[in-house]
Amino acid sequence: MKLATKLLVLTVVVSVALAARAVAAEPSGRLVLYTSQPDRDAQQTVDAFRKKNPGVEVEIFRSGTTEVMSKLMAEIAAGQPRADVLLIADALSMERLKAAGQLQRYPEADVGQFPADAYDPGKTYFGTKLITTGIIVNRSAPLKPKSWADLLRAEAKGQVVLPSPLYSGAAAIHMGALNAAPTLGPGYYDTLSRNAAVALRGNGAVLNAVASGQKMYGVIVEFMALNARGKGSPVDFVFPIEGVSVVTEPTAIMRQTRNPSAARAFVDFILSKEGQELAAAQGYLPGRKDVAPPAGFPEVGTLKILPVDIGELLKQDEPNKKRFAELFGG
Amino acid sequence: MQLIPVSRGESFAFATMLGIVVLLAVVPVARLAQEALAPGGSFDAAVLARLAETPTVWRATRNTLIVSLGGVALAVALGGAFTLLVTLTNLRGKKALVFCFMLPLMIAPQVTALAWINLFGPNSTLLAAFGLAPAPGTRHPLYGPEGIILLLGLEYAPVVFLAVRAGLRALPRDLVEAAQAAGAKPWRIVRTIVLPLMMPAFAAGGMLAFVGSIGNFGVPAFLGIPAGFTVLVTLIYQRLAGFGTSVLSEAAALSLLLALLALGGLALNSWLARRRDVRVTTWTTAAPEWSLGRWRRLVEGACWGALVLVLVLPFLALLATAFVPAIGVALTSRSVTLANFHFVLLDHAATRRAFFNSATLSAAAAMMLVAVSVPLGYSLVVRRAAVLRAVSFATELPYALPGVVLAIAMILCLLRPLPLLGFSLYSTIWIILVAYLSRFLLLALRPVTNALQQVHPSLDEAARMSGARFARRLATVILPLVAPSAVAGGMLVFLTAFNELTVSALLWSSGAETVGVVLFSLEQAGDSVSAAAVAVIAVVVTLTMMLVANALASRVARGVLPWQP
Amino acid sequence: MAAVTLDGVTKRFGSVTAVDAVSLSVADGEFLAVLGPSGCGKSTLLRLIAGFEKCDGGVIRLGENNVSGPDVHIVPEDRHVGMVFQSYALWPHMTVAENISYPLRVQKLRGRELEREVDSALETVGLMGLADRRPAELSGGQRQRVALARCLAMKARVVLLDEPLANLDMHLRARMLSEIATFRNVSGASLIYVTHDQSEALGAADRVAVMDGGRVHQTASPAVLYRTPSNGVVSRFIGGGAVVRGEVIATFANGHATVELFGGLWQVRSAPRQGTWPAEICIRPEDLRIVDDGSGFPATVARVLYQGGRTVMEAAPATASGTTLSLSLNSSEVPAPASKIRLAVIDGWVIPNP
Repeated sequence: MKLATKLLVLTVVVSVALAARAVAAEPSGRLVLYTSQPDRDAQQTVDAFRKKNPGVEVEIFRSGTTEVMSKLMAEIAAGQPRADVLLIADALSMERLKAAGQLQRYPEADVGQFPADAYDPGKTYFGTKLITTGIIVNRSAPLKPKSWADLLRAEAKGQVVLPSPLYSGAAAIHMGALNAAPTLGPGYYDTLSRNAAVALRGNGAVLNAVASGQKMYGVIVEFMALNARGKGSPVDFVFPIEGVSVVTEPTAIMRQTRNPSAARAFVDFILSKEGQELAAAQGYLPGRKDVAPPAGFPEVGTLKILPVDIGELLKQDEPNKKRFAELFGG
Repeated sequence: MQLIPVSRGESFAFATMLGIVVLLAVVPVARLAQEALAPGGSFDAAVLARLAETPTVWRATRNTLIVSLGGVALAVALGGAFTLLVTLTNLRGKKALVFCFMLPLMIAPQVTALAWINLFGPNSTLLAAFGLAPAPGTRHPLYGPEGIILLLGLEYAPVVFLAVRAGLRALPRDLVEAAQAAGAKPWRIVRTIVLPLMMPAFAAGGMLAFVGSIGNFGVPAFLGIPAGFTVLVTLIYQRLAGFGTSVLSEAAALSLLLALLALGGLALNSWLARRRDVRVTTWTTAAPEWSLGRWRRLVEGACWGALVLVLVLPFLALLATAFVPAIGVALTSRSVTLANFHFVLLDHAATRRAFFNSATLSAAAAMMLVAVSVPLGYSLVVRRAAVLRAVSFATELPYALPGVVLAIAMILCLLRPLPLLGFSLYSTIWIILVAYLSRFLLLALRPVTNALQQVHPSLDEAARMSGARFARRLATVILPLVAPSAVAGGMLVFLTAFNELTVSALLWSSGAETVGVVLFSLEQAGDSVSAAAVAVIAVVVTLTMMLVANALASRVARGVLPWQP
Repeated sequence: MAAVTLDGVTKRFGSVTAVDAVSLSVADGEFLAVLGPSGCGKSTLLRLIAGFEKCDGGVIRLGENNVSGPDVHIVPEDRHVGMVFQSYALWPHMTVAENISYPLRVQKLRGRELEREVDSALETVGLMGLADRRPAELSGGQRQRVALARCLAMKARVVLLDEPLANLDMHLRARMLSEIATFRNVSGASLIYVTHDQSEALGAADRVAVMDGGRVHQTASPAVLYRTPSNGVVSRFIGGGAVVRGEVIATFANGHATVELFGGLWQVRSAPRQGTWPAEICIRPEDLRIVDDGSGFPATVARVLYQGGRTVMEAAPATASGTTLSLSLNSSEVPAPASKIRLAVIDGWVIPNP
């Protein structure tokens, strides 16, 4: 054969061999994770993942959801997104990323043990936990609320704080869930605003306000309230009887990932029994049905979850926010 | 446009420095403008048009102006009054007073805001002691524009102080004495001689306060959001949280609006600081200290009282939070614990790294910026006003932009490998340094150019006629004359960079965390007590560094630090 | 070889021509004063020579070297020209010794040699013992001497002085002026001294260049300028002379001329010229006398200004009541204001027509 053809064949053979090796080999190299999990939890998750996949070096970027998304957007606009895999707070942000075509499908993900609405039917993102939003109560409060409706009572006037959906996707999901709930409905927020509730930026602010005694009642994610109570803050957490909204802290693989095998391994770990047990140990309600919830939680079966149609919520996002701004200012 | 003839070496140096300014200040903003006006590559004003029709945008702009102008007025009044008292009267304990006055600069603004909220809320033990605690369930007194103006004024009063202090110390004694000989009493002298002469310095300080206020995120986030009072910066955050497809260009376009406000402020500044041609040609001894006579005790009491109430108390509230195991637990002899400090210093490696990183980044930024500002400021002042004005405006923009937007601009510019050099600064600690250099150039340059405008050109010309070239003149004639202002600028850069949060929140990477990043993540996780511990350590660290600077400077040069007589 | 040569030097600021085709030369060791009112362009001229402004036209040479011209501009640092600024420009953060030695330190002089130069300069200006003071502690006269000492130490061959006596009080000026003259004698440097005060210029300089409106009208020794001014500007500026219109009847080879003025004929000085012509005549105070024998021309006393031993009397001629003539008289012989007197012209100068 001519020299050129020989070289061509050689190149093809070598490439195929290399590719095959890459596919078949252990996940290795560098994996870049962008997450909005609390620092400690993110570190623990990565450490556990690395134990199972020692060849992978993980680089974490951790910040608020808004900051993580801004960084992602800037990188995409600059033409070279660096993230391989995401683990952020709410599915609403994931839906937007999906709509922008930035996520990669992972059809082989093992979602058998997860409820159907915890992951994207198109298999681009997968909920990893069930982070519920309930009511945090300062122990010196006169009223002990048991339901969302209790926050509308006169005793709670001017004493309720909640995270603003204008600044938080999770709060937007919560608003959507309550709007859709049969007994609460869209009038709930109207009444809440008439009851002089105050919107704050984020769960941290809510915790601060209620634990320090500035306000008596707050809408907050459960792990934050339970952690604070565990450390000695004078607060209690209530799962309201109408039900709780849930954010699933989904994970997803970026379309332009440079290490798809490691990325997949990460998603596999998070969704595995071991990964879910780690989440439970960290104080979260696991998404998998076959993993026991942490102490202090009602059984997943008994917990009433208010459903949310993410697709619908995405469409209603602008009008919802506008309504909220009219009611609460901003 | 005539140029003063300069040697080739000087021209080259000026061109280089101008190039640095362009790279640091102009390129990121230009890239942002491109994102706003031509997101897809071709000019597209659709985003701008849509925003222009949104009433929320105009409301937010109006709100921004209200709180910023109010904050500036308060900062100038407080900072100015304090400077006058400290420089012109025989108050005792000046050093301590000045240290305390500069406390707000040493604490991250978000932390200060939180401390104020706790201190003046319904649960406040302090207010309860006076029977002034707001009834539970009522709106917090600080929520809304009044609270924002108050905190902005307090946050930027030290900035005004630093800007004016150096100028006031150089006030020629004979101007004051001439007025005294004419029979004017001290208050008239202050009103008719000192204040008009200090106009440029006040205008410079006020400008810094204004530009900082319009882009300030921490204060309106804590005090504006709960009251539904939105300013441009929080509106930008809303957009970013929304993550639509055009979100970056919206954020960029809103930032351009902020830039326009900054331009307006600059125009106002130029008008206020109409060049009064009083140049200092002699170094007279410091202006006389006026005796306050029997008012002295009262004034000292008032000063300390105000300082304690406004600065020390919030810090004490912070301290109290740092020593309890969880938020909401009252500080008693039984609940007091060092666990938070133990955690952040010993268990949390990121905190130690963060302190080291922040200290080195801030110090490096301060030194580099001062090193550039003196020659650059000199060349700008020697040349005609138009270039100076253009550069002044350019350096304002990275400071005026919200930190998150500047970080986005940095990502857009520095993600890809640098041309000619082939490597990328992204995901290293260096990108944070570049962001700091860009953002804080203004803080170093403005005081220096202001001081230089007070120096009579004959002092420089005499040196030129003696044969001294650019570098020697800078070192032997110019630098000694502007040293107090240069040092003030350097301190401002250091303190602001050390505690900044919003820029590094997007730009940090493993091993490159800053104090702000650590604070932010602890707050978000609901761990306010550890965050308080970090903030307290930050204050201690900065205080220590200022004391070290004090010890060093006393030996090297006199009258250079703001708290030295 | 002149120390400084200006050849057709022009400088414009926008539409204003500050210096208009000025040509001058200053010899080695010469003391040249540039005299003119405020705004005449003399400071700009100085700055052009120093190198702080670029010429729009013409050439400036220092010795043999072209320092300013169409293709060249040597920056001030490289011209080795000394300058005494109106404010003296002493660096406030340096001592007297450090101020003086600055140019020497630039030239890398150190140690004993440096000290010697500084001491020598201090001694020359009479400031021994003040080496460690700061400028703020010195009087105006002392500061000026430090500025001079700096030029001395620098061994500058050309020294520019920009109204150096303007900030001193009257009593000090005469003394300082003689110090400057001494400085020139000791150093042998050429001085270009800019001022608006004619007594300074005439008193100390070798030659004076009278400048107005950006142009140099006449450059000559003080005596020549005084006795034979070349135009009205120079006449009026120097010596307090009046410029009056008259008719030249005849001129003579010995430099005299007969002119008709105020209705009479008088003998004055003039350059020789054919024919008769209307001319401007410069009459100085000492060119007039009061006569009481019926000769002369009638005039009315307008004002008397007592100045001690002498009194200046201003009078208006009857034939030209808008003109003011000044005389200097012994105070005991002064007529009362508004009295009618008769004056005679005993000398004058016919200003040459251009």
